[in-house]
Amino acid sequence: MIVVFLTPAVILFLGIFLYPIVRTVIMSLFNIEGVTDPMKLWTFVGVDNYVKLFNTSLFRTASFNLFRIWLYGGLIVMTLSLLFAVILTSGIRGKKFFRAIIYMPNIVSAVALATMWLQYVYSPRFGLIKSILETLHLDNLAKVQLLDNEHKFMALVLAYCFGMVGYHMLIWLSGIERISPEYYEAATIDGANKIAQFRYMTMPLLKGVFKTNITMWSVSSVGFFVWSQLFSNVTADTQTITPYVYMYAQIFGGGNTVTERNSGLGAAVGVLLSLCVVIVFTICNKVIRDDDLEF
Amino acid sequence: MAKKEKEKKVREPFNAKREAKLIPGYILLIIWVAFTVCALLWIVAASFSTSPEIMKGQTLKFASGLHPENYAAAWSSNNIKVFFMNSAIYAVLGTFFTILISAPCSYVLARFTFLGNKVLSSSFIVAMSIPQIMIVLPLFGLATKAHLTGTKIILILLYIGMQVPFTTTFLMTFFANLSRTYEEAAAIDGCSPMKTFWKIMMPLAQPGIVTVGIFNFMNIWNEYFISLIFGATEKNMSVGPGLKSVLTSMQYTGNWGGLFAAVIIVFLPTFIIYVVLSEKIIAGVTGGGIKG
Repeated sequence: MIVVFLTPAVILFLGIFLYPIVRTVIMSLFNIEGVTDPMKLWTFVGVDNYVKLFNTSLFRTASFNLFRIWLYGGLIVMTLSLLFAVILTSGIRGKKFFRAIIYMPNIVSAVALATMWLQYVYSPRFGLIKSILETLHLDNLAKVQLLDNEHKFMALVLAYCFGMVGYHMLIWLSGIERISPEYYEAATIDGANKIAQFRYMTMPLLKGVFKTNITMWSVSSVGFFVWSQLFSNVTADTQTITPYVYMYAQIFGGGNTVTERNSGLGAAVGVLLSLCVVIVFTICNKVIRDDDLEF
Repeated sequence: MAKKEKEKKVREPFNAKREAKLIPGYILLIIWVAFTVCALLWIVAASFSTSPEIMKGQTLKFASGLHPENYAAAWSSNNIKVFFMNSAIYAVLGTFFTILISAPCSYVLARFTFLGNKVLSSSFIVAMSIPQIMIVLPLFGLATKAHLTGTKIILILLYIGMQVPFTTTFLMTFFANLSRTYEEAAAIDGCSPMKTFWKIMMPLAQPGIVTVGIFNFMNIWNEYFISLIFGATEKNMSVGPGLKSVLTSMQYTGNWGGLFAAVIIVFLPTFIIYVVLSEKIIAGVTGGGIKG
């Protein structure tokens, strides 16, 4: 019975995860003209693909963009989501309502969400941000073209963060709610104010949750693709390009980026991104230890 | 004791001093929520408006009345109908088969000790954090070899495969928490282990299965990258890439009302599910393991 129950899942796992992962790693060491070429047409080039990637300025730009999205976006999302989680657990009314609305962008198609931002919120003619700034009589700010090359990147990061806050807020919430309220009662009796309680009780006890949040954030930002595609009119928009977009253009879509046809390069991009996730995960595990506290 | 106090808190009468401390929190939350709701309502309003009115910034006045024909136009003339149906097929079949395959696997992993149990369950967790870019190239090669590119079958297969690790991991907590007495009682009554699973354990894990089913449905509905690569033709596209191609063409034709109507059409299915089941979904995000 064990065998019967496991077989379909295991076969799917081997076919859709294990075999492709191994093959991608191998592919990254070869020069391959077409994605579908059989192995005998591959030529071994060793780490040449990686060297070539690092020497391609467009790929460097793409990686740097991704890094900035990860860092700036991460700071914004982690701060806001933790703030909202703390507010929601401070005993306010309508907690469920607020929580539901803040999480909502996560269940909506990213294309629809990005369209909302691009065509409405950032619109230079009738946009929400423009209207708000005009009502506040900040006319100079209202004139800023939010989607020109200068501001596009920040616009992209903000729109992306807006959607991600809800998910990370839920992870924080689950961590905070696990801490027994009796601890806080004891701390209040001992004279610790809310801020001290947060600093010396909530924060240390949330270390494990913080790790989960960082890992999840890294996993989702590595796959940064849809938003980037929607915010750019051309394939190789240096403001918004990310490694995913680069790889997609390299292998599947012509566009204006392709200098040479080589699927090995695409595979190498995949390997590098996976390495990033592994590195972030390892650093998190090394730096943040959550096993020294029991509660 | 703690529980009793919690209940008391809910019925606590209005306490001006306590509420005053919370005002900054309220303000922040209300700004955020107001922003979300405004943006959303504006899109809804625009989808019932006309292009000249939207351009003039008079969307909310409805000077020429409501225009539900935007929806009819978006639905039929721009292929949204096709994308919508495709996504429905992918999401429904994908969810069904994912659960059919994951639930037994999850049950066995949670309930029995055998060689490779740990390896398999940790492999599933690793698989959840692998970037799709890592697997997509060989899969494309395989699909071409099997002559499956340009069919709906390949997308359904891929969606099932990609949801299995998450679904299996998610359900394991549910199966692990069920009491062993059910199986013992069934065994005494002469029920075979397999029958026990389908007749007794599956129905008992139903809350978990419903939650994970909703997640699968929404993930597949909103999926973009895989659909873009494997559903290359308009015939097989799901709503994600489909909506994008509609947007591109509508920007050139300048039919803004239709554009926003298309956005709402794509947005509605998952939104309705969320309105009805938001509590269950929110509890599920962190309740049953980690979402990948």
